[in-house]
Amino acid sequence: MLRNVPIRRKLIAVNLLISGAVLLLTSVSFVTYEIVTLRKGMVDGINTRAEIIAANSTASLAFQDASDATDVLSALKTDSHVIAACIYDSTGRVFARFPANTPAGDFPAAPQKAGFQFEPAALVVYRPVIQDGHVLGMVYIEYDLTTLTQRYHAYTILALVIVVCAVFLAYLMSRGLQKQISQPVLALAETAKAITRDRDFSTRATKISNDEVGALTDAFNEMLAEIHKLNATLESRVHERTAQLEAANKELEAFSYSVSHDLRAPLRHIDGFADMLRKSTQEKLSPSGQRYLDIISEAAKRMGTLIDDLLVFSRMGRTEMRLTRVNMDGLVAECISEMAQDLQGRAIEWDIAPLPEVNGDRALLKQVWVNLVSNAVKYSRDRSPAKITIRGRESGAREVEFSVQDNGAGFDMQYAGKLFGVFQRLHLNEEFEGTGIGLANVRRIILRHGGRTWAEGKINEGATFYFTMPKLNQTS
Amino acid sequence: MRHWLAQMALAVAVLFAGRQMACAQGDVSTEYKFKAVFLFRFAQFVDWPTNIFTNAQAPLVIGILGDDPFDDYLDETVNGENVNGHPLAVKRYRSLDDVKDCQMLFISSSEESRLGRDLGALRGKTILTVSDIEDFPENGGIIGFVTVQNKIHFRINTDAARDANLAFSSKLLRLAEIVTPQTR
Repeated sequence: MLRNVPIRRKLIAVNLLISGAVLLLTSVSFVTYEIVTLRKGMVDGINTRAEIIAANSTASLAFQDASDATDVLSALKTDSHVIAACIYDSTGRVFARFPANTPAGDFPAAPQKAGFQFEPAALVVYRPVIQDGHVLGMVYIEYDLTTLTQRYHAYTILALVIVVCAVFLAYLMSRGLQKQISQPVLALAETAKAITRDRDFSTRATKISNDEVGALTDAFNEMLAEIHKLNATLESRVHERTAQLEAANKELEAFSYSVSHDLRAPLRHIDGFADMLRKSTQEKLSPSGQRYLDIISEAAKRMGTLIDDLLVFSRMGRTEMRLTRVNMDGLVAECISEMAQDLQGRAIEWDIAPLPEVNGDRALLKQVWVNLVSNAVKYSRDRSPAKITIRGRESGAREVEFSVQDNGAGFDMQYAGKLFGVFQRLHLNEEFEGTGIGLANVRRIILRHGGRTWAEGKINEGATFYFTMPKLNQTS
Repeated sequence: MRHWLAQMALAVAVLFAGRQMACAQGDVSTEYKFKAVFLFRFAQFVDWPTNIFTNAQAPLVIGILGDDPFDDYLDETVNGENVNGHPLAVKRYRSLDDVKDCQMLFISSSEESRLGRDLGALRGKTILTVSDIEDFPENGGIIGFVTVQNKIHFRINTDAARDANLAFSSKLLRLAEIVTPQTR
């Protein structure tokens, strides 16, 4: 029940509960003992009184002198608690009364058995009058219990006051003393909280006591030191590895750049000399010779674009990103208008919904759209009409999702993972020309913007390419 | 509870009757029944010296000197009773010379003429004398019955009692009229 209560209050509550229970028990036993003693004393007192009356009234009863018996009873007037008293004779009739003017009808009609009896407001005692073994009569005394009741109340109130005062005192004391236990724990908890909040593992908890909490503090500090050390090692190791990786990456990029660049020179020679050969030997060459030359030129050109793409790809990792607010609607429209040449003679149904703005590098994002849209146009060229759908929507709290859907050749989902790899092609070059670098570029650009890419498709039923970008206010 | 009520009912009924009609004309026996019970009660309220008994079980004798006015009633009253362990017994004497081993002596009114001589003879003896002869305590007797307004009272000559080496319970004295004769 105390599970969610702070430790300070738990300690106080436990103290109060214990002291309250002990005090209550003590008070109850004390009051009970007092009351029992009081009652016993009262019974003893009244019995003694009855005994005296009985002893003094033997002669009165023996010689039937009622006035003397009344005299004997009148001694009771010294005790204001005696309500009434009487002496019965041996026939059970009221023989003498106290106070003397009390009507005989006010007394029990016949005496009861000897003994005492607590009635609601009175203690009643019967005591036989005995002379030489003969019962001459019976003394009856009715004793007022108001005093007893008042004592009950006084005791109860006193006990309650004591319990309340003591519990209050216990509260004050335990409020002070609980600090001995709670303070070190609270200090430790506070330190732990601060460390979790600030991630500052150089902080140390202050050791206050030399008990279990002190040991806990020591252990905690040791663990902190360990974490601090591990963190430092880890960080330096990460720095080291990152530096190594960056160096390797740079080397690789420089290498591929120079390779690509160097590959172009011989390629230009091949193309150039093939062209010169065609011009100088145009008449002498057989048609098949001509065709071979064309193929050589074509292949050289294709290799040139391949190398260009590779250069772009390798440059992609190095160019600085210039982040601006990018209007995706405008970007898509721009791409489509630039593809006008490829679109001649094509029947394409465009379905473009308004797209959300994003924060990113405009030139890079344009490449993404160019790649995705040109892919859609390319792989749907056997369809008439081709249908291309472009959508953009908020996905979750942090991302916006864009998609380009076509109804073209599609792909086998089995290979969906390979789509975005460099030089990965799912179609023969004869079917759909391409270098296999476009989607790799798309993935690289989107990753650099902090987004994701994936694709869905089915053979001959079209494909959908997705990418996400951080929501506008999420990018830092 | 009912026990003692039943047991004592008769005696007390008689007592009460006596109280009410002690001097109803001619009803002598009722008056003497009452006095018989009183005699028994007197025995209970006297401190009897132990040396007057031959042993602890010796009877306490109530003697009647002269004509017996109690008939058998005194015998019935004390039958089976005892005082301090001494069983009560009744003896009847014709003359004072017969009086021996007697602790209480009721002097009948038939002895009125010889009273002065008798009391003189009894002086110094530990015998509780009781009588309903008029002015009995004044004449050296110890307890005298008087009837006032249909009630039986008793009068005690404490000096005579002291001379007889007898002491009364203060409870008894409280109920009695104390008589102190002018002359010893």
